[in-house]
Amino acid sequence: MRGVRVAWKVTRSTYSRWRPIPALLFLGLSVVGPVRAGTYDSHEALAKRLAALGKKASDAVHLRSLAESPGGRQIWLAELGTGTEAERKTRPAMLVVAGIEGNDLVGSALILSWIEGLIETRRDDPNVAQLLATTTIYAVPRLNPDAAELYFDKPKRETLVNGKPVDEDHDALVDEDGPEDLNGDGLITSMRVEDEEGQYILDPQENRLLIEADPAKGESGRWRYLTEGMDNDHDELWNEDGPGGVNFNRNFPFDHDFYAVDSGVHPVSEAETRALADFIVAHPNIGLALTYGTADNLLETPEEAKKDPGRGEPLTAIDEEDVSCYEALGELYRETLGLEKQQDGASEPGTFSDWMYFHRGRLSLAARPWSPKLAMALAEDEDKSESEETSDEPEAKDKRNDEDERGKEEREQLTWFDEQVPEAFQPWQAFEHPDFPGQRVEIGGYVPFALTNPPESLLEGQAEVHGRFLTELVDRLPRIGPRRVKCAHLGESIFEIEIHIENTGFLPTVLAHGERTREVHATRVVLNVRPEQILSGTRITYLPVIEGSGGAVEARWTIHAPDQSEIHFQVVSMLAGTVEGMIDLRDTGNYARQASSVRATRDDDPR
Amino acid sequence: MIRDRNQVCTMALLLVSAALMGDVAARTADVQGHTFPALGASDERKVEIAWNRFHDHEGLRTILTRLNMAFPELTKLYSIGVSSEGRDIWCLEVTARNVGNPDRKPGMYIDGNIHGNEVQGGEVVAYTAWYLCHQYGRLDKVTELLDERVFYLLPMINPDGRDYWLHGAHRMSSSRSGLEPTDNDRDGQADEDDYDDLNGDGYITQMRKKDPQGRYKPDPDYPEYRMVRARPDEPGQYIRLGWEGIDNDGDGRINEDGRGGYDLNRNWGFDWQPNYVQYGAKDYPFSQPETRAVADFMLAHPNIIGAQAYHNSGGMILRGPGRAGGDMQRADERVLEQIAERGEKILPYYRSMVIEAELYTVWGGSVDWFYGGHGIFAFSNELWTRENLSKRGDGRSENEQAEFLQHVLLGDGVVTWQPYEHPTYGSIEIGGTKKEWGRVPPSFLLEEELHRNMAFTLYHADMLPLLRIADIQVEPLAAGLFKVWVTVENQRLVPTRARQDVIHHISPPDVVSIEGDDVEVLSAGRVVDRYFKEVEAVKRRPQRVELESIGGMAAARVQFVVQGSGPFVVTVDSAKGGLLRKDGALP
Repeated sequence: MRGVRVAWKVTRSTYSRWRPIPALLFLGLSVVGPVRAGTYDSHEALAKRLAALGKKASDAVHLRSLAESPGGRQIWLAELGTGTEAERKTRPAMLVVAGIEGNDLVGSALILSWIEGLIETRRDDPNVAQLLATTTIYAVPRLNPDAAELYFDKPKRETLVNGKPVDEDHDALVDEDGPEDLNGDGLITSMRVEDEEGQYILDPQENRLLIEADPAKGESGRWRYLTEGMDNDHDELWNEDGPGGVNFNRNFPFDHDFYAVDSGVHPVSEAETRALADFIVAHPNIGLALTYGTADNLLETPEEAKKDPGRGEPLTAIDEEDVSCYEALGELYRETLGLEKQQDGASEPGTFSDWMYFHRGRLSLAARPWSPKLAMALAEDEDKSESEETSDEPEAKDKRNDEDERGKEEREQLTWFDEQVPEAFQPWQAFEHPDFPGQRVEIGGYVPFALTNPPESLLEGQAEVHGRFLTELVDRLPRIGPRRVKCAHLGESIFEIEIHIENTGFLPTVLAHGERTREVHATRVVLNVRPEQILSGTRITYLPVIEGSGGAVEARWTIHAPDQSEIHFQVVSMLAGTVEGMIDLRDTGNYARQASSVRATRDDDPR
Repeated sequence: MIRDRNQVCTMALLLVSAALMGDVAARTADVQGHTFPALGASDERKVEIAWNRFHDHEGLRTILTRLNMAFPELTKLYSIGVSSEGRDIWCLEVTARNVGNPDRKPGMYIDGNIHGNEVQGGEVVAYTAWYLCHQYGRLDKVTELLDERVFYLLPMINPDGRDYWLHGAHRMSSSRSGLEPTDNDRDGQADEDDYDDLNGDGYITQMRKKDPQGRYKPDPDYPEYRMVRARPDEPGQYIRLGWEGIDNDGDGRINEDGRGGYDLNRNWGFDWQPNYVQYGAKDYPFSQPETRAVADFMLAHPNIIGAQAYHNSGGMILRGPGRAGGDMQRADERVLEQIAERGEKILPYYRSMVIEAELYTVWGGSVDWFYGGHGIFAFSNELWTRENLSKRGDGRSENEQAEFLQHVLLGDGVVTWQPYEHPTYGSIEIGGTKKEWGRVPPSFLLEEELHRNMAFTLYHADMLPLLRIADIQVEPLAAGLFKVWVTVENQRLVPTRARQDVIHHISPPDVVSIEGDDVEVLSAGRVVDRYFKEVEAVKRRPQRVELESIGGMAAARVQFVVQGSGPFVVTVDSAKGGLLRKDGALP
């Protein structure tokens, strides 16, 4: 580059990017379609729902298979948006991903319900129709169908990983000791064995639960706490090397734990993760991603980076300039859920969501949409709001001694399940275990998926709330539009022209880290003139970041135009859309002429 | 088909001259029976190759194919994948195929030319194949190497970049990348403004323009060969305008988005960092078909324990880590240092160096993936150093180079400055050194470079673990009860598992086991002290004893307490050290 040739002025710089935005300001979306949820879908059921949606709205729903799983299942991606593929690929886009961890069924259900709802409502709600004409939604409801299918299998077994053989216990034997359904109840649950070698004792306050023995308190372990099964390889370890595999949400390159048993032989090693990564690279218009899984940065906003990492060093915490976007969207999330306070967030090495921010430079949200803890917190907040007067009472009664605090969360959780979903915890039942002759062995505990997915009875309510949040999210994509152009006739055939571009969305056209990574390219204005016509400025002009909520920047040129009456231009933003316009050279001298002289030919300002 | 009289006459003339020529041909075409060996190469050549020039993808494939056809008992040729442009990535597997199981011999992986312009690496690898095949059965060391080891030889793992550099107009450092179109200047178009061979001479050289404000002038001593800065108080004559090219896309810049535009040796899945930290990293680890093919190949060959990558230039024997604080266990480094120290003797002017400390920071390089990720003992050599020009170690000086160009190469290597009318700069001159100058050796030094680098890598391969079940001792304890001691010896420098491998559980442990129809194992353990007979018993599954590693030039001993009688088999199963069996018997 030859230095700056255009003087930039960021207009309305006092505009705060983080100004609270009234919900659905831009499109006025308010309707979430009739929610159809209630049961979890098998792979086949999910594929049928998608196919039905594609058939029902062939102009707006485009299905493709990203890859085939080792189990022979297609990894479906649904693309929502009208118009040609080329148009959809240049519009502001949001990506939602679920089922990236094998046991996540709820995420798939939320995504399916949401996109079905959008399609359902678009005929009655012009705002939704407008949304689908100006925005692209990419939805991957289930990246790991092989593992999710175990929910429907007998025995039911919960796993985060795919079916790739891995020698988890490093003994040169592969997948030689998995769990078994010993009591034949169709479920892989837990096993507790009364044994002096055990590390656990029964919780004195709730003997269905076990707590770790604390030698400092004079306790010695009395129980082993194991997964249901046999020691198939006679190494005195139980179920330490079962089938599989790789957790896709630990298989991405940022903070990848190379040697972890579930992270894959290297980053992006699996067919499924590679297909997703390739899709991301091929669709640079994705400006916002939401991944359902165990990682969460919405319940609690992660800490920001203390300083710029410096040249040649990687950023390892969210850039301080970007963190307010995460804060705003986290607030919106908690508000939508009805959660008053932040809860503990979570981060894991090698997640897809971290890759999308730290390496791809996109705003990337991660949500654990349901957990017993979250359900309990929400119930508590609801109680509080129902009986305001009791909320200020001191919690003196709850103060107990230290010993009682141990296992408190687990006891409360079990109480919640007893009240809400009693079948989630199987009572302990004696079993004659051949590996432990003469010893007391009991099988029972939480059933697979109970701690990670809401009971089906709660699914409909979940889908409604999360659907509302997703619709609000799409509304917050960056979106460029022309504010105005100015054209001054300087004499003879010399014109000075000025183009003001604004961002009517919420997110900036590029995050600070998007700029740092250079994966989000600068917005550019291309003037359709011959190089020798330009007396000042450049034919291709790169714009700095345009902040959301009405931020704007301008670009200026001096043009020699002896034989034409109009100049066409194009503004291309990787994340905020494309605008084409025309400047009428006969319409000059009059500053502050509104955008009437700009004819945006596609992806127009939605207002 | 003969059409007219004239043609008939021409034919007759040709026939006559051919008859006359025949005599000349007989006297000159065939020297067979009249040649004598020079040391270092076999005089008997089933496949004759001139090693003083370069070959494109098809040329090297032809060499590998001819070797494969001439030496079927030593070679296997296959493609491990295809490049972005669809070229095969060839592997010639070289080992004595009838001696032992090729898949279970300790493996030596050797690649070349991951950077498209670093072409002579391809010739080194092909030369290695040629040499090994011809010397098997002739030199004891080579015979042993092919009996005991398997070589995976991949001369071109970036065949697109290689062909682009050899066939196209280039400078010495262009075409480093693979050829997947990449938008380097972030303007929405890929590969739209590459260099341009303006004068059509097949080279990309420099552009200069006469300018009273210019600060450069031709070197007074070697005006044809180099430009120098004018003294601070002296007027110059030229401005330098960079490499030959025009503004193809009208964005006001020249040559800013050439073909490709990434670095395959920053794309490996260990200690990888994205493009903003490590230029050239591309989209994610192993995003490119070339690196991915090699990774998949190596994962499918867990017997590989040595690796060598050939680059240019600088005369370096490089080892990891590629970045400060990267993985390198001290025990493993000592082994690498030992091998590299020998290399410095084999390779004049080459220096043994650590990449991050003595070269520059590399994230996502192949050597780190080999070693850090897989516990493979790996080097990358930067072939060719200009110190070899003078053979006095001062060939790096500008004057020595100009001398060499003028008096040894007699001007070959230089494009004389010629005027050219440039669309942006007007009247300019184009000229300078050719792409073959600087990073690859001249013809007569090429063969030496191939041989010496191969010799270093053969030493490395020779140092890979060589296991032997040295001894099986049976000692009676009572009637039908015995103590069996098995001694497994590693006769070479490299351990069966690097320290890196052991602490990160990369490959499975070495397993020593005993089996017999009438043999029951009661207890087993690792012998900690053979004289005081201190044994560390395994807790369970006594028929198999897991060993972390069998050290270099060392032995491991295992004790089995067995009852029964009759024959048994002891097996040593080491993923990287080999699979051995030895029979024994209880009395």
